[in-house]
Amino acid sequence: MSTAEDTPPTGTATATAQTTPETTAPETTAPETTAPETTAPETTKPGMTASRGGGTAPGGGATVVAAGPRRAPGLVSVAETRSTAERRPVEPAPAAGRPPAAPQRRAGAFWRLLGSELALTFRRPRNLLMLAVLAVVPVVVGIGLRLVGAPDDDLSGMIAAVAGNSLMLTFAAFSFLVLLLMPVTVSVVAGDALAGEAGGGTLRYLLAAPAGRTRLLAVKYLNAAVYAYAATAVVALSALVTGLVLFPAGPVTLLSGTTITMAEGLLRIALAVGYVGAAMSALAAVALAMSAFTEVSIGAIAATVVLVVLCQVLRAVPALDAVAPYLLPTWFMKFDAVLRSPVDWAALGEGLRAFGAYVVLFGSIAWARFSGKDITS
Amino acid sequence: MRRGTLVRWGLPVAVASVIGAAIGAGPVIAAVSGDPVLPERSAAQLLADATAATQKGGIAPMSGTVQQTASLGLPALPQLSQAGGSSPLSLLSGSHEVKVWYGAADKLRVAMPTQMNETNLIVNGGQVWYWESDTNTATRMTVKTPAGHKRPVPPLPEQAALTPQQLTEQLLARADEHTAVRVVNTAEVAGRPAYQLVITPKDEGSLVREVRIALDGETYVPLQVQVYAKGSAEPAFQVGFTQVTFTPPAEENFTFTPPAGAKVEERTIDLADLVGRRVEERTERAKDVAEQAKVVGEGWSAVAVVPFSLDDLSAEARGKDASGARGDADPQAMLDAVLKSATPVSGDWGSGKLIRTKLVTVLLTDDGRILAGAVTPDEIVKAAGVK
Repeated sequence: MSTAEDTPPTGTATATAQTTPETTAPETTAPETTAPETTAPETTKPGMTASRGGGTAPGGGATVVAAGPRRAPGLVSVAETRSTAERRPVEPAPAAGRPPAAPQRRAGAFWRLLGSELALTFRRPRNLLMLAVLAVVPVVVGIGLRLVGAPDDDLSGMIAAVAGNSLMLTFAAFSFLVLLLMPVTVSVVAGDALAGEAGGGTLRYLLAAPAGRTRLLAVKYLNAAVYAYAATAVVALSALVTGLVLFPAGPVTLLSGTTITMAEGLLRIALAVGYVGAAMSALAAVALAMSAFTEVSIGAIAATVVLVVLCQVLRAVPALDAVAPYLLPTWFMKFDAVLRSPVDWAALGEGLRAFGAYVVLFGSIAWARFSGKDITS
Repeated sequence: MRRGTLVRWGLPVAVASVIGAAIGAGPVIAAVSGDPVLPERSAAQLLADATAATQKGGIAPMSGTVQQTASLGLPALPQLSQAGGSSPLSLLSGSHEVKVWYGAADKLRVAMPTQMNETNLIVNGGQVWYWESDTNTATRMTVKTPAGHKRPVPPLPEQAALTPQQLTEQLLARADEHTAVRVVNTAEVAGRPAYQLVITPKDEGSLVREVRIALDGETYVPLQVQVYAKGSAEPAFQVGFTQVTFTPPAEENFTFTPPAGAKVEERTIDLADLVGRRVEERTERAKDVAEQAKVVGEGWSAVAVVPFSLDDLSAEARGKDASGARGDADPQAMLDAVLKSATPVSGDWGSGKLIRTKLVTVLLTDDGRILAGAVTPDEIVKAAGVK
C-alpha cells in the first residue's frame, strides 16, 4: 500500500495508542464499561479498557474515527479499534428503557457479518477450485479401483471393501485425504483469514466498521469452520455418488466383520462427516492463530501445513509414540471408530475432546495476539 | 510491554494450564486423593476372598479396554516396530490396546483395533471365529479336545483339602522367605476402587523393585498387573484395564456370521495332536538342555545358566531367514542388533557380552554359556563364576 512509507515505527504507534484514549473515551457508554474499576482482568476485554480515561463525559460515540491530528494515515492503533470495536449507536441510560434492543441488533450484525464473510469465501474462485479438487480425488480413486481391481483377486482389506460396497469409498477417500489434502485446503482459507485482510489493507476497514476485534475473530473462525465442514461434505458426497455409480450397493461390512444395512451405513457416513469436519475445524483454529501473527497470508498457510507434515513425521517415528496422543493429526484418522461394531464412542469422544482443546487453546492465542495488535497496513 | 498485553496473554496461558492439568491431573488425583474407599484387608484375607469369589460363580460378565505398555529398555531392534500389530514381538515395545467383551466362560470377544483395520477373536460355545479385516478373511476354528479330557479347569493345588484361607496362608508363608507382600486399599484402576497386592522382592540383587497386582474391590477380578524395575518410577511392564464395566455385554458381540464376499477358512485345532506333537518335539530338546542347564541362586535372584554357542544361534537364525517366514522380523538382523548393544565384560571366570534391559540381564560368555535372570549385572557376573 502507498501508506506503508507513512507508517510510523512501532514505538510511535504505541505512543499514539496511549494518547488516543483521551479522545476516544467519551463514546464508551456501553453498560459494561460503566464499571468503576478497570484494572481487574475481566475488564481487559476489547472495548472496555477504553474507559481507562474516564468514561463519564457524555455522548458523541460516532465521532471517534476523527482522531487527533498527530495520527499517521494508515495506522489503526490498538486503543482506537478497541473503542470503535464496541461502538454502537448511543443509547440512553438504562433508566430510559429499551435495553433489549441492543443485544438483538448486535447479534443481527454478527450474523450479517458472518453471512457476508461466507459469501466472500464461497464466491472466491480459489476456494471453489480447492473444493473441486477435493471432489475430483474420490472420483479418480473410484475409477482407478474399478479398472484395476477385479473383486476375485487377492485384494488387501480396504480396496476389497471398496470394491465390494459403494459406501466404503467414502471412508477410503477420507482415510487418505485427511492426511494432507484436506488440511491444506482448510489451512489456505483459515490462514488467509486475518493475514490476507491485513496484507491487502482491508483489515482496518473491517475494524472501522462496528464489528469489534473479538467478534471479527469469531466470525473469521466460524467462517473457516463452515468451510471445513463444506470441504468434508464435498468429499463425502463426491465419494458417495462415485461409489453408488461404480460399485454395488447393499449391506455394508464393517471392520469388525459385522454387516449393517445400507441406511445404517449412510448414518455412519454422516457420523464420519461430523467427526472429520470437527477435526478440520480444529486445524482451522491453528491456522487462524498463525494468521494473527503475520500480514503475509502465505506465511500463515505454510506454517500450518508444515506443522501438519511435521506432526505426521513425528507420528511415524516409533520412539516418539508417547508424544502422538498430543498431536492433532493423530486424531484425524480416528473416524474409523464409526466403522466398528459397536461404534467406538469412547474413541470419538476422546478425539472430539482433543479438537475442543485445540480450538480453545489456539483460539485464545489468536485472540490474545489479534486483540492487541496494531494494524499498520 | 503494556500491562494489558501481559494480561491478555494470560488467557492462552490459563487455557494451556487448564488443558495440561486436565491431561496430567487424572493419575495425580487418583494417587493423591487416596481416601480408602475399601476396608483394610490383609494379604491373606484378600486372596482368600478373591479365591472364594472366583470359585463361586466364575468371573463376572464384563467388557472393557485392556492396554498393555512395555518399556523394557530393550536395545533398539530393527523391524520391531514394523513387525505388524499381530506379531508377538511387537508387544515388547510401545503400547497396545485391545477391547474385551466377556459374557460367560464360553462367550468371549477380543478385538484389536488398528488404523482402518480390526482383528477379532469371537468365542461362542464351541464355535471360534477369527476375523481379520485387512485380509478380509474369516477363519472358523474347531477345537477338538482329546476324548475323555474335560475342559481344563485351572485347579489350585490341594484345593480339595483346604479352605481358601488355609491355602492362601500356606502360599504366603512359602513366599515370605524371599518376598514381602502387602496390600494397598487406596488404588484405583479404570475408575474403580481396587486393592493392590504389592509384592516386593527382598533380594538386593533383583532388578524387580515390586510387582503390583490390582484386584477389583467389588468383584475381585484382576484389573491390572504392573512390574516396576529398580530405579524407574514408571512400570517397565503393565497390562490392565483402562476402562471396564461389569454389565453383561450385548449378545450381538458374540454372534459372528462371515460377511458376504469374505474368504472363509476352516481350521481344526486338535488339542491332543497339537499338544502331543509339540511335546514330543520339545521333550527331546528340553532333555538335552535340561541336563546341562542349571539354576544359580534362588528366589528372585535366580539365574538360569544354559549352554549355547553363538555360531549355532546365528546358523539357526540364518536358516530361518532362508526359509523366509513371511512378515516376521529378520532374525539375523535382530541378533546382530542385540549383540551390537552388548557390553563386553570379563572376570576371573572368563569374558563375555552383557545385555542389559530394565528387567532382565543376559550374559553370553565366551566359553559357551548363556546366563539370564532378573538380576543386576553384578549378580549375573557373580553367577558366572559359579561353576
